[in-house]
Amino acid sequence: MYSIFKKVIFFTLLLGIWELLFRLAIWPEYVLPSPISVYKTLIHGFQDQTFLIGIAISMKRIAIGYGISIVIGVLLGLLIGRVRIFEETLGSLISGLQTLPTICWLPLALLWFGLNDKAIIFLVAMGAVLSITIATDAGIKSVPPLYIRAAKTMGARGLNLYFEIILPAALPYIITGMKQGWSFAWRSLMAGELLIVCLGLGHLLMIGRELNDMSQVIAVMIVIIIIGILVDRLFFVKMEKHIRERWGLTKG
Amino acid sequence: MSESIGIDSLVELDYTNVKTEAQTSTKLRIQHLSKSFQSKNGKVYVLEDINLEIRQGEFVCIVGPSGCGKTTLLNIVAGLEKADSGEIWANGRRVNGAGTDRVVIFQEAALFPWMNVIKNVEFGLKLKGVNGSERRNTAIEYLKMVHLSKFQNSHVHELSGGMKQRVAIARALAMNPEMLLMDEPFSALDAQTRWILHFELQNIWLKTKKTILFITHNIREAVCLADRIIVLSTTPGKIKKEFLVDLPRPRDDNDVNVAEYSTWVMKELKAEISKVVKCEMDTDSCVECDIKCTTDEPAKMDIGGGI
Repeated sequence: MYSIFKKVIFFTLLLGIWELLFRLAIWPEYVLPSPISVYKTLIHGFQDQTFLIGIAISMKRIAIGYGISIVIGVLLGLLIGRVRIFEETLGSLISGLQTLPTICWLPLALLWFGLNDKAIIFLVAMGAVLSITIATDAGIKSVPPLYIRAAKTMGARGLNLYFEIILPAALPYIITGMKQGWSFAWRSLMAGELLIVCLGLGHLLMIGRELNDMSQVIAVMIVIIIIGILVDRLFFVKMEKHIRERWGLTKG
Repeated sequence: MSESIGIDSLVELDYTNVKTEAQTSTKLRIQHLSKSFQSKNGKVYVLEDINLEIRQGEFVCIVGPSGCGKTTLLNIVAGLEKADSGEIWANGRRVNGAGTDRVVIFQEAALFPWMNVIKNVEFGLKLKGVNGSERRNTAIEYLKMVHLSKFQNSHVHELSGGMKQRVAIARALAMNPEMLLMDEPFSALDAQTRWILHFELQNIWLKTKKTILFITHNIREAVCLADRIIVLSTTPGKIKKEFLVDLPRPRDDNDVNVAEYSTWVMKELKAEISKVVKCEMDTDSCVECDIKCTTDEPAKMDIGGGI
């Protein structure tokens, strides 16, 4: 409770300073709008459903792109983690590619797919896939050989061994990779939407810029931050907590 | 090669008798088994020409100093490692990889932390394709046998070391294997827990009549549990001696007869122990150790009833 209290004080203070700076009129309103006008834009944006549509379009893209990256990432991680030849070849390619900022894939995406949804989804998938691959690989390498031996003596073979033992044992790592992958995917999505005109939250941000409407810019930024936090709290933090409790990784 | 020893409470190993009985009900036959590893200092012979037969329902302990290859031997029988040469026949089939007829219980319980207790016990049955309610019933039955049915919904990390090992035993038994292979399963537990588990294991064995191959470095444990003790020598691991233990069951670690018998076995193995102690001391550059080693009674050192 005390920590919530501190947070409330902090954010109230922040809003107060913001409002004060606005009242001092040091900058014109298109540079620094008042928190009240940002709030009004937020309400208006949700009332006329512009923001809702933007959110829906962005979420659909990230769902597809991130979904693809999970499937491909886990499969690649499995291959690299379990097959020597893939580790030596694909493994070095993956760690090399990870140094490339995701947005650098944009020109390639545009040439391959054109100015459309597919290019953005590709960008999202590329943003997350490497983190998930690397985490899955690390998770699989950390599976205690004892689990595998025990499972073998109880008759686990082939795919059973992967789905019943290796993947569940690597799950704590995979979840961490998925969490990191999500934040990369979210960033890539916004970057893509800023640069390609096709609705979505990033596009709403650009519309704000084009209309010189700083309230809209800040309002959309707030929406983006809140969605990022919500997904992290509602999904990843809960999942990690569940796994920690189940595995006994936390005390008490 | 093995030789039999008989005094008082032991039964002299009569090879002609064993032979005829073995032909009818041999569960495990190891023939001319050898195994070596490649190390930095060249080839290390871990096991050399092991020949062993275990009968249906027999409880056999293999004892030997650490590094004598007893775990390797068990892994080869389990099908988790390959031998260089020799043959192993288990339950009438030649061993070629792991099989559900020979379930291993490891030193660490090897329970899966992402499953609760009952799911762990059900695991092997699920792989066998046994349907949900049937495998649940079987799992509960065996959890009852190890007195843990109350903990069926617990997470693995909530159990103590001894409880984990009992779940591991239930998990192995639930598969109804022909043979249990136990690799120092109680060595990581405290003396109290071990004492209880020695009782429980004997009762389970009397109830289920499973053939058990049990690895340990603790002679007292071997005497407490086994019908027959096989002693391995070290580098290379060879069968040094065999002892038959014919004490009434269930035996108690602290029973006078068990203690007496253990002391006697220890005495018989003194030469081997000295060899190991010397061997280990030699690799140690500590001066103090060298002095101790040159004195004639290395066995006086506290080696915890093991070799």
